[in-house]
Amino acid sequence: MTSLLTNYRIWAYLLFFAVLLALPLTGDDFWLNRVAKYLCFGMLGAAIALTWGYAGVLNLGQGLFFGLGAYAMAMPLKLASYTSLQQGSDQPVPDFMLWNAQPGASTDLCCITPGSWLWIPFQSQWFGVAMAIIAPVIVATLLGRLIFGQRISGVFVSIITLALVLLARLLLVDAQPLTNGFNGLTDLGYFNLFGTELDPYAVTTYYVITIALIVVLVLARLLVATRAGTVLQATRDSQTRALYLGYDVPAYQTFFFAVSAAISGLAGMLYVVVAEFASPSFLDLTFSVSMVVWAAVGGRGSILGACIGAILINVLEARASETEALVEAWKAIVGLVFVLVVIWLPQGLGGFAHDMMRRLTGRRRPESLKQEVRQ
Amino acid sequence: MSVYALETEALGVSFGRFRAVDGVSLKVAKGELRVLLGANGAGKTTLMDLISGRTRSTSGRVLLNGRDVTNLREYRIARAGIGRKFQIPSIFTGLTVRQNIEVAQSRYPGVFSNLRIGRSAADRARVEEVIDLVGLSDQMKTEAGTLSHGQIQWLELGMLMIQSPDVILLDEPTAGMTQAETGKTAAIINRLKGNHTMLVVEHDMAFVRDIAEKITVLHLGRVLAEGTVAEIESDAAVRAAYLGSQEISAC
Repeated sequence: MTSLLTNYRIWAYLLFFAVLLALPLTGDDFWLNRVAKYLCFGMLGAAIALTWGYAGVLNLGQGLFFGLGAYAMAMPLKLASYTSLQQGSDQPVPDFMLWNAQPGASTDLCCITPGSWLWIPFQSQWFGVAMAIIAPVIVATLLGRLIFGQRISGVFVSIITLALVLLARLLLVDAQPLTNGFNGLTDLGYFNLFGTELDPYAVTTYYVITIALIVVLVLARLLVATRAGTVLQATRDSQTRALYLGYDVPAYQTFFFAVSAAISGLAGMLYVVVAEFASPSFLDLTFSVSMVVWAAVGGRGSILGACIGAILINVLEARASETEALVEAWKAIVGLVFVLVVIWLPQGLGGFAHDMMRRLTGRRRPESLKQEVRQ
Repeated sequence: MSVYALETEALGVSFGRFRAVDGVSLKVAKGELRVLLGANGAGKTTLMDLISGRTRSTSGRVLLNGRDVTNLREYRIARAGIGRKFQIPSIFTGLTVRQNIEVAQSRYPGVFSNLRIGRSAADRARVEEVIDLVGLSDQMKTEAGTLSHGQIQWLELGMLMIQSPDVILLDEPTAGMTQAETGKTAAIINRLKGNHTMLVVEHDMAFVRDIAEKITVLHLGRVLAEGTVAEIESDAAVRAAYLGSQEISAC
């Protein structure tokens, strides 16, 4: 890559970070809270780009990892909630567990409902933070070993991940005494970051999430720039060729699948901090499909593009749904934008920006690539 | 250590009741270039599949420098030292020519050992040298998917060159090439000769005469004849198998 090419990429990142960091200057706490949520979705866009764009693996169940991260964080925050402290026992117990408990059952977390002991380690918020990352990584590693080890690829990976997120959703709803089922975990307390309570509407919380996003984007971008990142893209183009060069292709796919899961888990965890709830809707099929749409609009071949795509679509959705004239039509508008982007900009906004920069710097993007992504 | 780089011992595979490769024994000496000839369906490509681990054999053994590599997973066989070029060229279309060659320079195949950016000056020099050898210096930054058919074949040969396996399997390296391109391919292959042991499937007899030392003719999954170009061209059994006779149509 020429230095010029590298330069404009770096500038795009820096510009984006600068905008995020300057946003609190608008002074609108309500919007800041919303944008913070969308930044979490931005992480999801980047996570999808990593697997779909760089590895050619379309995961239609990314919500599973987001959900794991969200619940792992929501559990300690539920225990930190005032509602858990007012249940007449000396240690915090989630209110819904008391509603579910057998008459005369001990009101202790160890045995109030079947399996409630699983909540005991979540009395520590940092345990929740750790699990929000570790649990998705473990699930992704096992799943990756299974799927990629069996040489399953293409649409079959999508079908398996899709089925899996629905299965997980079913189990989550079914485990009502443990997870509060359909209602999810609500009335959450604040996360305590070294003595600072993270009020969802506080600027501090916004900055915590912004910095997390910046770290995620920089690390993900560096990761795909490593040799392993190039090998990963090679496996996307020809698994066979990569195998015959001596690369353990499933190991590469699994590694990046797990990284994508970790990012999604982190996104879920931070989302709970600002949204103050976790619910089975995170594992809805529509949510996982939405993430793919965000990445497609933003450009799956670009980590930054997919991230911005996620944020932009959500801002657009929020604005449109609040505009009186569009209250009925906003979903159609968002759908239309998606269709137009896929038809005219198959590489998404990121690919479009890349083309523009190439044209400005006097380089042309080869025609073949444009056609290739349409398949 | 064995004097043979590649040996197959009564190697065979059956698909159902059909024996595609039926007890083939080959001994290819270090540095030798062996050409495999045979009509369609003779089992040439299947034999390569068996050697490189793409298809699991049902009988016999494959030895690489005397070491048994029978039915290992493909990437393990590749790491042991067998490289392969496919009949349908197989490259990384979304990467540049340079990146293709860099990926092929796979000295550290593990994920974690590759979590670094950049490579040593010596490695970079070698990458450029190989790109130069296969005549793609002007295309260094071109996306490989946009190359012409001939260039793609050379790129794949370049990838084998830098991977530098002990044994190289080439499946029809000149398929679909113009005469000029074929000539250039022969030059690249002759350059590989000596440093690497090669097993080449090829139909183009002019090309075979250009590169071959010794030829093995396969027919219906078995070795029909083995010898120099002149010996094979005058062999009665080979002529019968190629030109067609009662013997073939009976099967």
